[in-house]
Amino acid sequence: MPIFDAMEGARQVYTEAEKHEIFDREFLPHIHAMYNFGYRLTLERDDAKDLVQDTYFKAYRFIESFQRGTNAKAWLFRILKNSFINDYRKKTKEPSKVDYQEVESYYNSDDVNRQITSDLRIDSLKDMIGDEISNALNSLDVDFRTVIILCDLEGFKYEEMAKILDIPIGTVRSRLHRARQLLKEKLSQYAKSMGYKTT
Amino acid sequence: MSDATNPFTSHGKRATCMEMLQLYLDGEVTPEQRAYFLSHMDHCMPCFKTYQVDVAIRQLLKDRCCKEAAPGDLITQIRAQINQKSS
Repeated sequence: MPIFDAMEGARQVYTEAEKHEIFDREFLPHIHAMYNFGYRLTLERDDAKDLVQDTYFKAYRFIESFQRGTNAKAWLFRILKNSFINDYRKKTKEPSKVDYQEVESYYNSDDVNRQITSDLRIDSLKDMIGDEISNALNSLDVDFRTVIILCDLEGFKYEEMAKILDIPIGTVRSRLHRARQLLKEKLSQYAKSMGYKTT
Repeated sequence: MSDATNPFTSHGKRATCMEMLQLYLDGEVTPEQRAYFLSHMDHCMPCFKTYQVDVAIRQLLKDRCCKEAAPGDLITQIRAQINQKSS
């Protein structure tokens, strides 16, 4: 499915009836995924609601930039992500301070990867019945959290993620890799605290 | 398996186990890369173990972190906002 064709191409012309049809059939079916994304970014239900409402309003306002039949979900996620960065994040927190140099240097170290993974066992993961996984995900820096949400929860491909986040595919890969390592470290800490043998 | 036959090798640079595993896990491989990695995993225990853990974590994420359903009145509010500001 083409991604954001309309953003790079001609502006569309729709009648009011067509706008409503696109909105109802292509945008609204993603509302739960959008809300979940908003919640995972802000970690507040009221803020998530505001963010989603604002995103849908912008999507309708700029609907002529959207070509029907293209990737509506990725387009909506991109608007939500931009609203979060430009509106919400500015009001609340300092920008992310992720050390991307560290990300790159981590990427090619199989030894580090194996050490972290060997600390986790399938049986301990399967017994995590509380909110451990959710808490671990929420505790990650928002940039790392975002790539895990987009890839592992929503199933976006690297190319779609690159467009949603405005970053190169290579950065998607390395950031995703580092995010998963950090998540494993958190889960490993939980597993140890629950008394599981981790080696 | 030599680098010459490794379909993950890019610009003469050998891919690490974890790079190959990530691409496979995320469905970002060609059919040749998929076949190569599956064969590689047969004799690379760290890759096999890591793959099992990664799949379990992904399933856990899907089971536990996708449950935030939008509030029932959200669609109504969105429609009202659009109708109000576009009229």
